[in-house]
Amino acid sequence: MQAAAPAAVADRANGRSIASKISFQGLVLGFAVALLLFLVGYPLLWLFLGSLGAPQSLGLEHLQRAFARPQNYAALVNTLQLALGTGVMSVLIGVPLAWATSRTNMPLRYVIHALVALSYIMPPYLTALAYIFLLGPEAGHFNRLLQGLFGFESGPLNIFSMPGVIFVIGIHVFAFTYFLTYSALKSVDASLEESAQVLGAKRWQTTLRINLPLVAPAITGGALLSAIDSLALFGPQAIIGTPAQIVFLPTRIYATIGSYPPRWAEASALSLLLVFLTVAGLALQRGYLERRSYVTVSGKGVRTQLLNLGPARWALLAFCLTIVFFSAIAPVGILTLNAFSKSWTDPLSLSNLTLEHFHTALFLDQVAVRGIINSFKLATSAAAIAVLIGAAVAYLDLRTNVRGRRVLDYLAILPLGLPGTVMAVGILLAFIRLPIPIYGTIWILLAAYVARFIPLATRSANATFRQIDPSLEEAGRITGASWFHVIRRILVPLSRPGLLVAFLLVFIPAFGELSATILLYTGGTETIAIAIYRLNDLGQLEVVSALAVFTIVVVLTLAALVSWLSGSSWSSSETPAVRG
Amino acid sequence: MAFIDIAGIDKRFGSFKALSGIELAIEEREFVTFLGPSGCGKTTMLRTLAGFLTPDSGTIHVGGKLLSSPQAVVPPEHRRMGMVFQNYAVWPHMSVFENVAFGLRLLKVEGAEIGERVSRILDAVGLRGLEKRHPGQLSGGQQQRVALARSLVVEPSILLLDEPLSNLDAKLRERMRTELKTLQRRTGITFIYVTHDQAEAMALSDRIVVFNQGTVQQVGAPRDVYERPANIFVADFMGLVNKVPGKLVERRGTSARVRIGEQTIEACTSDGIDPNGAIVVAIRPEAIRLGEAAPVAGNNVLAGKLVESTFLGNIVDHQVDVSGSLMRVQGDRQQAFEPGANVNLIVPITECVAMQGDTSQ
Repeated sequence: MQAAAPAAVADRANGRSIASKISFQGLVLGFAVALLLFLVGYPLLWLFLGSLGAPQSLGLEHLQRAFARPQNYAALVNTLQLALGTGVMSVLIGVPLAWATSRTNMPLRYVIHALVALSYIMPPYLTALAYIFLLGPEAGHFNRLLQGLFGFESGPLNIFSMPGVIFVIGIHVFAFTYFLTYSALKSVDASLEESAQVLGAKRWQTTLRINLPLVAPAITGGALLSAIDSLALFGPQAIIGTPAQIVFLPTRIYATIGSYPPRWAEASALSLLLVFLTVAGLALQRGYLERRSYVTVSGKGVRTQLLNLGPARWALLAFCLTIVFFSAIAPVGILTLNAFSKSWTDPLSLSNLTLEHFHTALFLDQVAVRGIINSFKLATSAAAIAVLIGAAVAYLDLRTNVRGRRVLDYLAILPLGLPGTVMAVGILLAFIRLPIPIYGTIWILLAAYVARFIPLATRSANATFRQIDPSLEEAGRITGASWFHVIRRILVPLSRPGLLVAFLLVFIPAFGELSATILLYTGGTETIAIAIYRLNDLGQLEVVSALAVFTIVVVLTLAALVSWLSGSSWSSSETPAVRG
Repeated sequence: MAFIDIAGIDKRFGSFKALSGIELAIEEREFVTFLGPSGCGKTTMLRTLAGFLTPDSGTIHVGGKLLSSPQAVVPPEHRRMGMVFQNYAVWPHMSVFENVAFGLRLLKVEGAEIGERVSRILDAVGLRGLEKRHPGQLSGGQQQRVALARSLVVEPSILLLDEPLSNLDAKLRERMRTELKTLQRRTGITFIYVTHDQAEAMALSDRIVVFNQGTVQQVGAPRDVYERPANIFVADFMGLVNKVPGKLVERRGTSARVRIGEQTIEACTSDGIDPNGAIVVAIRPEAIRLGEAAPVAGNNVLAGKLVESTFLGNIVDHQVDVSGSLMRVQGDRQQAFEPGANVNLIVPITECVAMQGDTSQ
């Protein structure tokens, strides 16, 4: 290269481009960053201050008082029991299922896999509702069936119990363990097993000494994620737990805020406790995975060997079908059945069929109609804003060397570990008073949704931009296009499918959000989840079922769209990660 | 019956014929290489030999015992063979020691003896002192040594190697090649080696088996296969070759007279050559000398016109027009010709192999 002259030219060109970067880039990116800090950073700060008694006072006595209350202590113990129970349950059912669908010649593997995905995509409070119909102590279908079969005096199973809560949440969160184990098993190359086999190891020895240790980190990680997720699921905890008078941390927080006057400091303290549990769990999971992760994703295709089970594969299929029957088929089935039945307690017959509940839910019931409209509005705007911020954060992270971009990235991922209830307490504390009193309006819900689901948009945008070689943009610049022009004509068109996926990944959980909404809504800003929750309290179970079916259809359609857009309907990769 | 006797093996995957009618006899202590392009069936043959695949027809006997037939296959774990994989397949969750000791533990070898045998084999493959390391902390070459040690420590009579060096960089590959060969000579284990690299095959093997499209094209010592290719595919696959189209004029035993343009040369040939079909004479570029000298006994002389010369460092690559077909000649770098010069191509008769087929093949 020639030395002096071109360097001088380059300097001048750089100078100019830096100037234009500040004006354009600075404006767009700065706005997104400010929004992120405002929606995530600010409420978290308030959460912390709130636990110290702010704004009335500052001190540790609120924290002390909160942890001295026996009700709070009971909620903590119950929450830990729930986490432990669902973690263990997720291993007991998730691991065999993952093994069956990934490494054996069991029939219907694809169907089982899809049904596990369905049990995960289904909002868990709907599963909880479904199990009231199925395992309610008196009228629950399964109970009546058992009564009929074995002549019990009353229904032998009661969903309103601790095992009931663990069961309902477990059949939702086991998907974490399933998917992690599934992809770990899929990435064990057959040569690792064949090496053992050639040395004389029998099938079971290979499974025990090669496969199992190799995927152990994935199993442990999955169990931890299941446990962590179960902490945050306000919906089933409230719908099943509250009638049984079993209180968990999220429902306890709900109660302290709902009391008169609201006990803000206590709610903040309990929220921090919940955050602590979540973060500890996530840190454990991360550290464990990092230290002992053997199964690395390599660029090369992995060859896997399917175990020929012979006739035993039918027994395995029966086991798998039983699990997905309880986790997906039965809940969806019963909700659908109820939605079309005149009375849910009457048996299925042609004369018992009706479309009336859909009519009520979609057109007549004011709360339901308002809920549907609000949910669509909120989910659409929240997704749009989250994608905008997420794309800006991802762009800063991948395409610039702006200082502090890592912190920003972290801040944008942080809400992933925060239960909706916690996020709502922070948002409440931050926005209930001046300077931005948006409590009681729909804006506070929008703020909460964006804050909660921004990680999904950020991760997705990050993955999308990663796949686009920066040289494509550089080629645009060198041809003479401005930064804005390059973004508009090169980056955005190239990443459009990815950004659409990001949009949907936020839209889906936002559409059925319950755990933050329940603390933030007021009359007039009900969402579909609130409508379901409230009509359930009022006993209008058939209308609730119709709304539930409507929600499931919307969510499933969009999830199918996501998997079609990502071109991998048969992969574990991107399913919405937070919900409830 | 040979030590390993492969008879009439067919194998299909769906409608794809991976192997058809494979016949092979391999002696004890031999180093045999299955060579061919990807998809030629060499790995399928190896995996059938290992017992991972069941043949559709044919049998495999080892040491007089029937191991594979369409009816029954002795599973890999009962064959007492060793196998080294292309991706090393070293277990990432075990230390080097545990990886190597795995097979011995399955054989219920005593603890003290395990330690002794593992350290002896780690010495042999040059991994002494790395017993406690995990595979993640090893380089590719070291991992491949672990894989070798792991297979060798149980003292198999047959070691199967599936492209074991193809993931290593060129320098390391060459060094491991030498080590593999020494190891094989020293242990006396029968090595069956799969590769698509003909140089590797020639450097290592006692005999090479050339595969293409699921069939064996030729079996022979490296020199035979290189100098006397059985057909155009083998000639091409083994290295750079001139395929000169010609017409069979006369044939006496294994020698033939072939007309190339207006010139006629002597060539060697195998049996089954069809006098009416198209003929190709295969001549390696390095077998040809350029010069104006008069013909010497045992040599063919072809007149040609030099088209272009390219200096490549150790050699000079010449393109010569011989009766309308372009021939490559690898010449001495001291020898220079002007483009357009008339040159004589001097080729030993033994280096001209006449075979069936046309050059489009």
